[in-house]
Amino acid sequence: MTVPRADAERRAESGFSGPLLQVDDLHVEFRTRDGVAHAVNGVSYSVDAGETLAVLGESGSGKSVSAQAIMGIIDSPPGFVTRGAIRFRGSDLLTLSDEQRRRIRGRRIAMIFQDALSALNPVYTVGFQLAEMFRVHEGLSRGAAKRRAIELMDRVRIPAARQRVHDYPHQFSGGMRQRIMIAMAIALGPDVLIADEPTTALDVTVQAQIMELLAELQRESEMGLILITHDLGVVADVADRIAVMYAGRIVEEASVHDLYARPAHPYSKGLLESIPRVDLKGSELAAIKGQPPNLLRVPSGCAFHPRCPYRREVCVTKEPPLFDVAPGRGSACHFWEEVLDGR
Amino acid sequence: MGRYTVRRLLQLIPVVLGTTFIIHFLVWQLPGDPFAGRCGDRPCAPAFVAMMTEKYQLDEPWIFQYLTFLKNLLVGDFGESFNGVPVAQILADTWPVTIRLALVGIAFEIIIGIGAGVLTGMRRGGFLDNLSLVTTLFFLAIPVFVIGFTLQYLLGVQFPIIRPTVTPEARWDELIVPGFVLASLQMAIVVRLARSTIVENLRSDYVRTATAKGLPRMRVVGVHLLRNSLIPVVTFLGTDLGNLMGGAVVTEGIFNINGVGGQLFRAIHLHDSTIIVPMVTVLVLVYLSVNLLVDLLYAVLDPRIRYD
Amino acid sequence: MTEGRSLTGGPTGPPTAAGEAPTPLGDAAGGEIRTLWSDAWYDLRHKPLFWISSLLVVVLITMAAMPTLFTDINPEHAVLANSLEPPGGSAWFGYDLQGRDVYARTIYGARTSILVGVLAMLVTTTVGLTVGIMAGYLGGWPDGVMSRIGDMFLGLPYVLGGIVILSSVAGVRSNPSEAAIMAAVILVLAVLAWPVTARVARSSVLSVRAADYVVAARALGAGPRRLILRHILPNTVAPVIVIATLNVGAFIGAEATLSFLGIGLRSPVISWGVAIADHQDYVRNALHPMLFPALFLCVTVLAFVMLGEAIREALDPKLR
Repeated sequence: MTVPRADAERRAESGFSGPLLQVDDLHVEFRTRDGVAHAVNGVSYSVDAGETLAVLGESGSGKSVSAQAIMGIIDSPPGFVTRGAIRFRGSDLLTLSDEQRRRIRGRRIAMIFQDALSALNPVYTVGFQLAEMFRVHEGLSRGAAKRRAIELMDRVRIPAARQRVHDYPHQFSGGMRQRIMIAMAIALGPDVLIADEPTTALDVTVQAQIMELLAELQRESEMGLILITHDLGVVADVADRIAVMYAGRIVEEASVHDLYARPAHPYSKGLLESIPRVDLKGSELAAIKGQPPNLLRVPSGCAFHPRCPYRREVCVTKEPPLFDVAPGRGSACHFWEEVLDGR
Repeated sequence: MGRYTVRRLLQLIPVVLGTTFIIHFLVWQLPGDPFAGRCGDRPCAPAFVAMMTEKYQLDEPWIFQYLTFLKNLLVGDFGESFNGVPVAQILADTWPVTIRLALVGIAFEIIIGIGAGVLTGMRRGGFLDNLSLVTTLFFLAIPVFVIGFTLQYLLGVQFPIIRPTVTPEARWDELIVPGFVLASLQMAIVVRLARSTIVENLRSDYVRTATAKGLPRMRVVGVHLLRNSLIPVVTFLGTDLGNLMGGAVVTEGIFNINGVGGQLFRAIHLHDSTIIVPMVTVLVLVYLSVNLLVDLLYAVLDPRIRYD
Repeated sequence: MTEGRSLTGGPTGPPTAAGEAPTPLGDAAGGEIRTLWSDAWYDLRHKPLFWISSLLVVVLITMAAMPTLFTDINPEHAVLANSLEPPGGSAWFGYDLQGRDVYARTIYGARTSILVGVLAMLVTTTVGLTVGIMAGYLGGWPDGVMSRIGDMFLGLPYVLGGIVILSSVAGVRSNPSEAAIMAAVILVLAVLAWPVTARVARSSVLSVRAADYVVAARALGAGPRRLILRHILPNTVAPVIVIATLNVGAFIGAEATLSFLGIGLRSPVISWGVAIADHQDYVRNALHPMLFPALFLCVTVLAFVMLGEAIREALDPKLR
């Protein structure tokens, strides 16, 4: 079984004491037939060992693309990282050679995808796909790699692992498949785990089990976890901090508690208000008006202005920077104070 | 896998019965004198008519005729040509040549077809890709016999690199150009099929996962991408073997190759239905059996089929 | 967008969901209504391949309909003294073995090829579409029976099936009329090809039948006639148009192949395949009686195949 190394030991090894993973002013664009889509426009966030950062946003907000940029698995063309840095233990991944990046992928930074059925190769057994991690990265023999694969399946609590190691992905239930996906990601004890909508495709009861498993694995191994989701409900229990994305930018960053108690951006506020609540039963549910932005034609100024109840003249003309609301907290809204006060 | 094999075998039975029945019906049951124009340029000899009537029970009800036809097929009695050579003998003499030709053709399909398809699929939109799109379009559109004549004329007559016709021994090296002609259409289809499945699978989630696992590019392509992309190609190669056999008639006719197809070609020109029908029937049965084998290979490649 | 959305691809890859933006980044059309057909037409208009092949097809069809526009020479007029004379002077393509004008015969050959290709396509499409829709709509045992019957015909590969049928049909073996030969060839092509169209139609019917809006229409009491005519047929049309266009090309090639083998068309029918077959033994003396019919044959097949491919690409957003 992989023995998770203590965080202090890892730091000593690299002699670096900044954030574990830091995304700085990242820009990603997709050059399509219809024009250039700016999927990520200057996103910065960081995650520390043992910490969970939730990246929240609707589809097209750039949350998954920024994660793919970290992994280095953006389809290129059409996707290009045009600016910014992704520092892992202080060294910028974007400046590394392909081979150096490959060695980090899967081993130090791993990723879980949304739909495990399509993310696992249908024509190989799950045992083969798990063992592949050990065979390629650690050069283990076929037999030893298979034993490790069974251990991994035990660790993510797949019953009868010894028999099921020979089964194919389509023979597992959705929840079990996602466990295999997780097992594959934690196989080599990565420092950072990126989970891209890990529970969206699952039933509600299974969702809770998977989130619990992730939280537990994180506690055991002190991984930094980046949880990408559009579901505020998933975030509340597990995340330490939240970064809310809209049209390729971070519009608000805060601790979970602060954001839930007093959002400082109209978009986060709208998201919170659109969750049905038992105590407000009977009253009308607020929804954010309008459509998500078209990334080929992002609105001028603040991209959220066409849908924003706080909109004024300046929102159309001037793009708001990320204002410091409090230590460790930011909001990209010209009128964040009003929003924060609930006016 | 065992159950799958049995099921495929069982499904093959009605197809074999149906196909042989269609052939039998078309040959013997259509209105009109079944012996008209069947024995070359002259009318059939009365003795021959009597012999055939006896052999195929032509004065019995059609169901008996069909059963007799089937029985003869099963015991390997395919009848005789109108000048008395057993068809089984002709087949035995000519099979090896046709198999050699088919192997050369399939080698072209696999090496050039899959090779070019994978290469262009990986580099979509490049010069090679566009070149292959245009080239394959031509191969798709030009009938095999035109390609055959063109190559025979260019390589055999105009710039004599090969003999325009193949010797009776039909050595491997003589079969290269005919094999290419035989496979030309299928090759073009394989290139396009392999290219499109590669393009499609390159964007698939599991290839992305394989990359995210930190596997070397060679392994992502060789282990994860190729196996999935080749499944439809293998299926195509199997199901298209029938067209390859039809093409063999044309190709062997043009290059005067002494194989099954060449025999058929000559029999057609001599209007000798007595050997056309049994030979085509045998070819169809071979085709159906190969299809079964391909189905089984398909199940080996794609586990999702096995566990249906 | 609504029209094509429920079309899911069958095994041969007919169009799927239409009008989806090519990128995952939202709707680029900015609100205008896009349908499968308007999208396809937009796509086609911008394809040179489509215009080239359409132009060729129009020219060829004109040639088939009105050969006298292109030549006033009688294709049957034979002067044996001119046998195998090379191109030059009044005869642009030279003379054939019988001393007939190759240019005139090549022009008149278009009529045969197009007629056989188009008629065989019409028969194939009618039979295939009917059987496919019935099988897909009825399901259950009728589907099983029709699909198995289709399998049996698919068990007969093209050329082999053509050989066995055409060499056996009594009417063709003796001394048939021009129309009888052509009818036999057309029927043989259709008999061997209809199951492919039926399969494509069936699979698109199956996918439409399960679509929510059809289930809803059925729940609202729409009868089978209305369901098939209003909901199922329109969604089956796109993949069937593609396969029908490609079939015309394939049939013209197949007709020439059968004629070349000596079991398809034959004199007195004027056909490119027959011309090639008749002159194959004289290649060393004279190439032209074979060359020009072969060129026209290739261009014709190419035109229909290109047109079919262009339409397929336009109707299948997956390929964009």
